[in-house]
Amino acid sequence: MSQNWEMLKKEFAQRIAEANNLQGIETIRVELLGKKGRIASIMSEMQNIAKEEKKNFGMAVNELKQTTEQLLKVRIAQLKEIEMQKKIAEDTIDITLPAAKLKYGTLHPLTIVQREIEDIFIGMGYAIETGPEVELDYYNFEKANIPADHPARDMQDTFYVDNNRLLRTQTTAIQMRVLEKEHDHLPIKVICPGKVYRKDDDDATHSHQFVQIEGLVVGENITMADLKGTLELLARSMFGKDREIRLRQSYFPFTEPSLEIDVSCHICGGKGCPTCKQTGWIEILGAGMVHPHVLEMAGIDSEKYSGFALGVGVERVAMLKYGIDDIRNFYSNNIEFLDNYKRFE
Amino acid sequence: MRVTYNWLKQYIDLNDTSPNELAQIMTKGGLEVETIEKQAYATNLIIGKVLSCVKHPNSDHLHICQVDIGDQQIQIVCGAPNVQVGQKVIVALPGCILPAGEIKAGKVRGEESNGMICALFELGVDKKQLSEEQLAGIEVLDENAPVGNRDVLAYLHLDDTIYDVSLTPNRADCMSMWALAKDVGALLNKKVILPDYSYTCPKKESTLHIKSETPKCSYFAGTIVNNLTIKQSPQWLIDALHAAGIKSINNVVDISNFVMLETGQPLHFYDLAKIPAREITVKTGLHEEYTALDGQKHQVLEDDIMITTEGKAIGYAGIMGGDDSKIDENTQGIIIEAAHFNGLNVRNTSRRLSLLTEAATRFSKGIDPQAAIKATERSIELLLKLADAKNVEQTVVFSNEEYNQTVIQSKVSKINKLLGTEFKYDDVFAVYERLDFAPKKIDDDTIETTIPSYRTDIKVYNDLAEEVIRVLGYENIVSTLPKMPTTQAHYSECGKEERIISSMLLGYGFNEVITYSLVSAEKNAENIFSIGTPVRIANAMGEDRRYYRTGLLPSMLDVISYNTNRGHNEYSLFEFANVYSDDGNDSIHLSLAMSKQSTVSKWQKIVEINDFYRLKGIILNILAKFGYDEKRVSFQKPKQENNILHPNKSAEIYLGRTLIGVMGHSHPQTEVKYNIDECILAELDIKRIFNEKPAKVKFVPINKYPSVKYDLALLVEEKITAEQIINTVKKAAGNLLSNVEIFDIYRGKGIMSGYKSVAISVIYRSNEKTLTEKDIAPVHSKVLDSLSRNLNATLRE
Repeated sequence: MSQNWEMLKKEFAQRIAEANNLQGIETIRVELLGKKGRIASIMSEMQNIAKEEKKNFGMAVNELKQTTEQLLKVRIAQLKEIEMQKKIAEDTIDITLPAAKLKYGTLHPLTIVQREIEDIFIGMGYAIETGPEVELDYYNFEKANIPADHPARDMQDTFYVDNNRLLRTQTTAIQMRVLEKEHDHLPIKVICPGKVYRKDDDDATHSHQFVQIEGLVVGENITMADLKGTLELLARSMFGKDREIRLRQSYFPFTEPSLEIDVSCHICGGKGCPTCKQTGWIEILGAGMVHPHVLEMAGIDSEKYSGFALGVGVERVAMLKYGIDDIRNFYSNNIEFLDNYKRFE
Repeated sequence: MRVTYNWLKQYIDLNDTSPNELAQIMTKGGLEVETIEKQAYATNLIIGKVLSCVKHPNSDHLHICQVDIGDQQIQIVCGAPNVQVGQKVIVALPGCILPAGEIKAGKVRGEESNGMICALFELGVDKKQLSEEQLAGIEVLDENAPVGNRDVLAYLHLDDTIYDVSLTPNRADCMSMWALAKDVGALLNKKVILPDYSYTCPKKESTLHIKSETPKCSYFAGTIVNNLTIKQSPQWLIDALHAAGIKSINNVVDISNFVMLETGQPLHFYDLAKIPAREITVKTGLHEEYTALDGQKHQVLEDDIMITTEGKAIGYAGIMGGDDSKIDENTQGIIIEAAHFNGLNVRNTSRRLSLLTEAATRFSKGIDPQAAIKATERSIELLLKLADAKNVEQTVVFSNEEYNQTVIQSKVSKINKLLGTEFKYDDVFAVYERLDFAPKKIDDDTIETTIPSYRTDIKVYNDLAEEVIRVLGYENIVSTLPKMPTTQAHYSECGKEERIISSMLLGYGFNEVITYSLVSAEKNAENIFSIGTPVRIANAMGEDRRYYRTGLLPSMLDVISYNTNRGHNEYSLFEFANVYSDDGNDSIHLSLAMSKQSTVSKWQKIVEINDFYRLKGIILNILAKFGYDEKRVSFQKPKQENNILHPNKSAEIYLGRTLIGVMGHSHPQTEVKYNIDECILAELDIKRIFNEKPAKVKFVPINKYPSVKYDLALLVEEKITAEQIINTVKKAAGNLLSNVEIFDIYRGKGIMSGYKSVAISVIYRSNEKTLTEKDIAPVHSKVLDSLSRNLNATLRE
């Protein structure tokens, strides 16, 4: 009995190719290679074959088996790949559905501005100093060259606790403490941020509580030109590198000469707009050369040393920077408002 | 301070300086112009004459007028009750812009109207300066008014520009127009020509007796002027006062106000006939009731400086005179008062009485010590000219003060050193000349200056440096940065820690809030983690801001309530703020609040539940960040109940033995009171935390031996806490224990009531060898034994 090996190969190959899923191919595998499968049954005919043909027959069956196994292996791999592709094709999501709300918190806008200013000065080697909000009249006024009958006390209505204590009306009080503490460790280079209080009725532009930052430098040969340079740097760091500053004469009891500083408007660039009230300039800082009397009161030789001080209102900067039109927003803490300040600038 | 362009123009040549330019120059020089205002705003006006005036057929109050405007005649419907034939009137032609809008030709109730006949207030003139008659109807012009004249505002003397100048407290001298003009002249580098008041008359010996019995009045100049005629002021005087915002009364009163504006010296004129004793004594220490010109009866206090005659008060010195000595239409003779009263007393009295008069403001801010005689002489000159005064008596002066001129020698080099400039000697010398500081050369570097009496602000050489730079201009300063030894920057106390904590909290989704420090007594009493007795504000604006808070949670609850009301009921919030106690303690507190729910994904229905344990974890992470290991922190049942935290779901937090804070779920009472949902709250004392010593970061060798885990289910009574179980295991297991963790708590089926099942993992590990059954068995049985003995725990099968 002879077999048409080529026919068988062809038939098996066709059977394998016809299988179109893993289940089907398993059935075919059993049919062809199983214990009672076709190849096994061909094998069983070996006993009926003439001795001299046995070797050839055996070789042919083996070849058929190997070929079949190889074909099956390839086909199974193919079908697995097909099956996976099908699964992938079916496994789909709508990528436009909303993301999970992984809440990332926000700093308060006043903190953002305060830290920005602190960082500018830290970069220049200034130390940050703070002081008590429930302050002594002595540091808030007396040492700052504002004695009891001084007209400047009219400018700032004060919350008094008793004859000696008050809520500080200006962070100048911190500066006066620093001067006292460090007068024999010159130079001094500090900024003093903190809450201050004045008897103002709260409205869109006034707040009985607000945040100030003052800077103080005392050393040898400190000039008003150094002050101007520092103010320029500060204005440009806060409002952009193209900003110009304009100095105007002003008055603070603890500085002389005293200055008011206008910064060219960051909205219109100086052409005039509602933010700058059409003037092109925005009043933003107060500053001056430390009054020799203030230095002397702290025990610093005003002939040898000089210094400058500058101050900025954090609310005012934040309002200008973010276009906030009502100062009360800072203190009502509406979450919708707070959530605006997620971005780093 | 109101300053007018036209007034300055009388003293300084302003032909090449427009009102806007002048404002800019003044502002840069320190005389800050806050607003620029026109006296009247109107274009396209013309003077007309009413030719006829008939009643409007369809109205009971309108009139139809034919008006001659020079080259033509126009019809205008006019609603004013006082319009009459023959009147000369102000006509606003179509196209005219008035404060209320543009005038258009049209029909009024069917009748053509080609303009409007105007009242002065319709041109934007301040209503306060107008009479009731002027407010009720159209302005009727003088019969000589030129019909057809189109420059109506100039004709009416309403073409001035008014500056509102915000003077800094040191420049009170500029409350005198003359001193202001001098300053503007210096800024413009122009000559200033002030009025000459040398015109006078022979003076008789005085019959007046002046005396001050108080150190609060150190100078008083009194002058009797007789034979006055009270009448209307000339137009120029009325105009000048109007522009300055002062109402004209009569020639004599107007002179006192006008001279005050000119010289800065407040004056008071008394009716001579009403002070028959011709005696004036200034006193303090009176105790009586007194009615001033404002008609209000006030109690006089010890420190009020009073003007008296024959022992009777006739005025609050430097503030306001009395009704019984005031100038009226029958006044024939007056006493001129030009005095110095203590500014602080005047300020206190005027504030208490709410009589913030022009005089009081000037005394409060300080006046030119040399202005009194100047002002008296100027008044006499004007009274002679404008009130036909005769029989002027000599001025009687009471004085116990001496005026010393301020003379300062300053070095140009030193001024340059302070300013960082390179001004030449001649530049600086010229500035002093412009300011009338009478400069005198001492040597090539030194200039002596004699400061005019009105510049009381110039005392030391820094003051002169300011004069130099404000006159020469700040643009002369070339920017530099300080050249000095390097200094080391550092953060404020706890500043760095605050930054780290807040960035951790941002990661957990917290928003930072900032609230007011001042609260009411009731609000502060709600505090449960208070630093002590609150600081009380003596002069608070109201009871709701009476105290400086001693803790932060009540303010935080307000924020939650505010947001809940607005539909924001998912939140995580924190605040850092200082707290103070009345006896001098202070600290920095941190408050935390989380809503119970936090929706992560609505459509996937993923909602995180915040509870005690989540906030506890956040707090432990913060503490661990700074080297305060969980092992050192304990959460204990609060010793006292409070209304903010739930009594059974709250804790006091200890670091070692130090109480560092409180935390817990909100108390149902608070939820009702603030109308909020359940939330989790905490308040920590940051300074107390950082007063404790943190652990150092140390290298721990990595253990290469495996661990062995035993899971146990323990049946214990409800009252047994997790901490008790863990501590019992720790104590019994000794150093072979690597960790003990609770992984399940079960109550219900199979567990009898009053009991719970607590499942724990006990993990053993050695860093010396692999543990065998033999090593562990004795330890583990000790653990089981201890749990049974100490906690009455039984193993569940």
